[in-house]
Amino acid sequence: METIGSLILIAIGAALINNFVLHYFVGICPFIGVSRRVDMAFGMGCAVTFVISIAAFLSWTFTYFILRAGAPVTSWIWHVLRPDSELVPDLSILNYIVYIFVIASSVQLVEMYVRKFFPALYKSFGVFLPLITTNCAILFACLEIMKHVSGASDPSQVWGLDKALVLAIFGGLGFTLAIVMMAGIREELDQCDVPKALRGPAITLITAGILALAFLGFSGVDRGLAALFQ
Amino acid sequence: MNEQTKAAPEIRRKGGGYLGQAWLILVLALLFGSGLAAVQMALEPIIARNKLSETLLQIPNLVPGSETGEQERVNGQLVFRALDADGNLMGWVLPASGQGFADKIEMLVGLDAALETITGIYVLDQKETPGLGNRIAEAGWRDQFRGKPTSKPLELSSAESSIPHHVEALTGATISSESVKDIVNGAVASLKEALAKASGS
Amino acid sequence: MVNDQPTALERFINGILPENPTYRQLLGMCPTLAVTNGMQSAMTMAGATAFVLICANIVVSLIRNLLKPHLRILVYTLTIATFVTIADRVLAAYMYDMSKQLGPYIPLIIVNCIIVCRCEVCASSQAVHIAAADAVGQSLGFTLALASIATVREVLGAGTWFGIAVMPAGFPNWVLMVLPPGAFITLGLLLGLVNWLTALWTQGRKAKPTAA
Repeated sequence: METIGSLILIAIGAALINNFVLHYFVGICPFIGVSRRVDMAFGMGCAVTFVISIAAFLSWTFTYFILRAGAPVTSWIWHVLRPDSELVPDLSILNYIVYIFVIASSVQLVEMYVRKFFPALYKSFGVFLPLITTNCAILFACLEIMKHVSGASDPSQVWGLDKALVLAIFGGLGFTLAIVMMAGIREELDQCDVPKALRGPAITLITAGILALAFLGFSGVDRGLAALFQ
Repeated sequence: MNEQTKAAPEIRRKGGGYLGQAWLILVLALLFGSGLAAVQMALEPIIARNKLSETLLQIPNLVPGSETGEQERVNGQLVFRALDADGNLMGWVLPASGQGFADKIEMLVGLDAALETITGIYVLDQKETPGLGNRIAEAGWRDQFRGKPTSKPLELSSAESSIPHHVEALTGATISSESVKDIVNGAVASLKEALAKASGS
Repeated sequence: MVNDQPTALERFINGILPENPTYRQLLGMCPTLAVTNGMQSAMTMAGATAFVLICANIVVSLIRNLLKPHLRILVYTLTIATFVTIADRVLAAYMYDMSKQLGPYIPLIIVNCIIVCRCEVCASSQAVHIAAADAVGQSLGFTLALASIATVREVLGAGTWFGIAVMPAGFPNWVLMVLPPGAFITLGLLLGLVNWLTALWTQGRKAKPTAA
């Protein structure tokens, strides 16, 4: 019960309370750039969710087994090379470089795979894939996972793969929710008489502010849920 | 971006020209790698000291009479022994965290040597609502935890109360106050349990 | 094309207002919104971004003749990630509280579009001194943008500027301004203001010759 409870809390936290776009401000560029039409926004959201899950899986694996201080694989190699050394190898300085390459290559792999095996799917959201490399939401998910794997003060608090994947998938779904809502509002906004200076990104940002205000209403929900699970 | 995503397979296809294509990246990787290693060697001790001193600096405020602290693991639980100048045990300082209103709250809880009274609490990190919940970090509110007995779990009260195990909730920030109370109660219970287990075995 | 390229001075001035990264190019929105709830964090962020931008621009400009077209973005990414790691470690070592407060937004400089954009537009085709001037100009523009947003948010939201109280006592803090919605709304309104001023200015310039 406790594990399922904590997974549900992570999921709700990532998707609603601390929504990637509206609370952490990551992924703003596509949020403003690709939110003119609902179908395009939905395609972008799906593509991000897809890539974020793969990048989270890879970056968790790298962080857990290789990069963090005292990671199993690195420790073993170090032990073989220098059996008498007491030093605990710590490669966490390479974290950021590894993540950005993990993201770039997973975007590349996903693009090739989808193009080859699901041409229809590729047509619908393939065009967004290359753009995703510079989407901060993905790197942000990797960094959150890093915080809970190599930054954990207590060995018992190190996140497992389950938590990492839940955070990534629901973070991606939260992004999809926000961008689709935004696109829906913008389709209506096209009919409105917006002051000339505010047209385009400015009114989009103000609308996003009101959306963020609405999402603020979710804070505190997780604490009530946590009490429920205990 | 398109260019980058096309780069990888192209290298593989060319095979023979691999080095010709990629030597610049390899050289750069080598250069940057050694640069980073140097940065790591130079700064890592300072960063580690920062992390530790964040807690150590607070120990004299949290446990009266103590001057330094010693990191220790009791039954898997990370604690700090608060020591006076002669190395006598004056109390315990325990890092603890829990879910607040907005995000995780990270705290330090100070206890006397016999684990009977709370000697102080400190908020290391919080992202509660500015102006409301973030007042949990202010000394005025935190100080009321000083001297509270640990025989019973603490409870919140809405007004000032003379009952020993009551603490007054912040107006407009009941959930943040409750989170702090729960974190303190949890920390006290887990330290008691860990020490009991350690002395039992 | 080569002859048309802007000089160092033009690059420098362009970055500050005419091509301001935030208001005119709408680049690097994530840090713009996330760290502007106070001047201190905004200026730390601006400093870190400037460091990475200047270093990356210089390095890319130095090796611009060796760049293979299809590998260039890989080189940019590698360069930027390295300098971001250095900035992150230096902050953690010498400004520990700040680095804790900024948290993931320092590593997120890696995907800040401003830097890749400047490497691509300027550094990969022009000499070192021009690239450096461009980077300094763009950094100043970015700093200016962050400072304007952070000033509005901190003064209205907390009644302080750089942590010093500036509002009269009894000023009710607009807590909303330091919360996420305040970021979006402030940037939206400032963007509108800049658009409006630009429109006024261009109108004035058009009107002048006919009047004269």
